[in-house]
Amino acid sequence: MQSQAKRELLALYEEPDQAADAVERLQSAGFDDNDIEILSSTPYPEGAFGEGHTKHRLFAFPFAGAACGMAVGIAWIVGAQVSLPIITGGKPIVAVPAIIQILYEGTLLGAVLFTVLGVLFESRLPDGVGLYDDRISEGYIGISVMARERRLPDAQIALEEASPIDLLSKEGSLMHAPGTT
Amino acid sequence: MIAPEAAGLKLSLRPPYRPQALKISLNQAGIALLAALGALGIVMYVVKLITAWGDRAEWAYPTVVLMFILSTATSAPLIAYASRMAKGYWALPLRRVAALYAVPSLLSFVLLIPIMASLPPLEGRSNLWFGFSAGAPFLTDALALAILLLTGMALLWFSAVPDLAGPPSRVRAMSRWQRLLFLNWSGTARQWKVLRAANLALGAFYLMGYAFVHMLLTTDLGQSLLPGWRSGIFPVYSAVTGIQAGIAITLLTAALMRRFSPEAGRFIGDEQAAALGKILVAATLMWFYFFWSDFLLIWYARLPSEVAAMQVTVAITYILPFVLTAVLMFALPLGLLIFNKVRQSLSLIAGVSALIVVGILFDRIRFFVAPMANPSPFGHAMHELPAPYWPNALDVLFIIGFIGLMFAVFVYAASRIPVLNGWEMRQGSMLRKERTYMKAHVLVIGKPD
Repeated sequence: MQSQAKRELLALYEEPDQAADAVERLQSAGFDDNDIEILSSTPYPEGAFGEGHTKHRLFAFPFAGAACGMAVGIAWIVGAQVSLPIITGGKPIVAVPAIIQILYEGTLLGAVLFTVLGVLFESRLPDGVGLYDDRISEGYIGISVMARERRLPDAQIALEEASPIDLLSKEGSLMHAPGTT
Repeated sequence: MIAPEAAGLKLSLRPPYRPQALKISLNQAGIALLAALGALGIVMYVVKLITAWGDRAEWAYPTVVLMFILSTATSAPLIAYASRMAKGYWALPLRRVAALYAVPSLLSFVLLIPIMASLPPLEGRSNLWFGFSAGAPFLTDALALAILLLTGMALLWFSAVPDLAGPPSRVRAMSRWQRLLFLNWSGTARQWKVLRAANLALGAFYLMGYAFVHMLLTTDLGQSLLPGWRSGIFPVYSAVTGIQAGIAITLLTAALMRRFSPEAGRFIGDEQAAALGKILVAATLMWFYFFWSDFLLIWYARLPSEVAAMQVTVAITYILPFVLTAVLMFALPLGLLIFNKVRQSLSLIAGVSALIVVGILFDRIRFFVAPMANPSPFGHAMHELPAPYWPNALDVLFIIGFIGLMFAVFVYAASRIPVLNGWEMRQGSMLRKERTYMKAHVLVIGKPD
C-alpha cells in the first residue's frame, strides 16, 4: 500500500522556457496532466507551458445559485401574496409581470452568493497545493508533480533535465547538501 | 497611434513588479481638506438623522447625493469589467482605480436607510410593487443595493488578492479565516483561471445589479412620488448617464493619480484618455438621445398629467438645474470632445470630465428633489405645479460634506489597497510589445484567453 501513495516534487525555474521544457519531459515520461501543477506569480496564457486544459466548475455555481435564489424569491412572493391577498387592478393574486422584479432580485442574489462560494471552493480551500516555495512569489516558476513512490526517480530526472534552480520534496531540497540553502 | 506609457510595456516579472498603495498623510493639504470634508459629511449625516428622521422633504438633497454616488462611484467599476470583457489592455492602469470606487459606494447604503424610512405608504400612489406587502419598497430596494455593493466589493477583493496575499509562507501562517479571505493564494494555474472567470462572472452580475438598482430607485425615489410622472425611459436614462459620469470620474481620478502619485503616474497617460474619450463621446450623445426620447413622447402626446411632470423636471420648476445639466453634461462636453486634441489628452479630458461630474449633480437635483419634497405624492396627477425646493445652508453643507466623504473614503481605500492591478499589468506587459514594422512603430498585442 505504501508504494501506492503519491508524493510531490516541486522544481523551480528561472525562465518560462525551462518550465515548459520540464512539463514536456514529464508528459513524455508518462505523467498525467492532472498530476502536474504550475505555480507562478504572474498569470501566463493557458497552455503556455504545454500543460493540459485546466478544468473548473465555477460557471456551474451561478446557475445553481440562481435556481436557489429564484426558488426563494417564488416562496417569498407566493407566501406574501397568499397570506395577504389583495386584488390589484383586477389582476390575479400572483401575477407574473408584477413579481418579476422580486424574482430577478432573488435570482441575482443567489447567483452572486454562489459565485463567491464557488471561487472559494474552486480555489481549493482550505488545503490548496502541498509544496510551495516563496521564490515563486519572487518571479520563479514552479512545476509541481504528484508521483507514486516507484515513479519518483522518473519525475526527478524529468524535472532535473530542464535545469531547475532548485528541486524540492517534502523533506527539503534535493539539489543541495543538507545544511545549505 | 497613441502609444502606451513606456513603463507599462517593460515591467519586471522577476522580481515581479508589485504596485504600492498610496502614501497619504494628514500633513498633505489635499488629504487634510478631504479629511475635513469627510468629517463634515459625517457630522451633517448625524445631524440629519437626529433632526429629520422621517421627514421626507428634509431628505430630498440627501437623495440627490445618494443618486449622485450611484451614478459616479457605483458606476465606475463597470469600466474595469467592460475592459476585461473586451480585453482592452489600454485600461490596465485604470482597472483598480475604477474598482476601488466600490468602497465609497458603500456610503450609498448608509444614505438609503433613512431615505427609505421617510417614504409614504405605497397605497394610493403609482409604484412598481402592485400591492406586494412583504417588505416593498424598503426591504426590496435595500436588498437590491446590498447585492450590488456586495458584488462590487467581491470584484475588488478577488482582483486584489494576488497583489495583497504576499508569499505563500505568509498565507500559510494566517488564521483559517484570513486564509479563506486570501483564497489560500499560491498562484497555481487553476487559481489564476478561477480568478479570471470570477472577475468576468461577477462583472456581469455587477452590470445586471447596476441596471436593476437604477430601475428600482428612480421609480421608488422619483416617479412614484410625483403623480403623473410615468416614464419607461427614465430608469435607462439614469443608468446610462450614470455610466457617462462613471467614465468621467474615472478619467478625473486618473488625471489626479498621474499628477499626485509618482508610481501610478508612470503608467497613466494619453492612451487611457484616447480610449475612454471615445466612449465618453458616445455616452454624451446618449444623454441627448434618452432625454429627447423621453421628452418627445410626452410633448407629442400632451397628456396633462405627464406634461405637468415634465414641467417640473425640465421646463418650469427646475429649469435652472435642467439648463445647467444640458450645458454641463451635453453641450459643452460634446462641443469639446469632438476635437481629437481634447479627447486624446488626459489633462484636457479631465477638465471635460469635471464638467460632467458637476452636471450630473444638477441632473439629480432636477429629478429627485421635487418628488422627495412633494407634500402630496398620492393620486395620478398633480393639481398644480409644486414650488421649487431649494437647498438651505444645512443641505449645501450636507452635499459638500458627503461628496467630500465619498472622495475621502476612496483615497483611504487607495491607501490600503494598491491603486494598480499588479498581476494584470505584469500580464499586459508580457503580452504587449512595441515592434518596428517597416519604418513604423506598431504595438503587437496578444489576446490569448
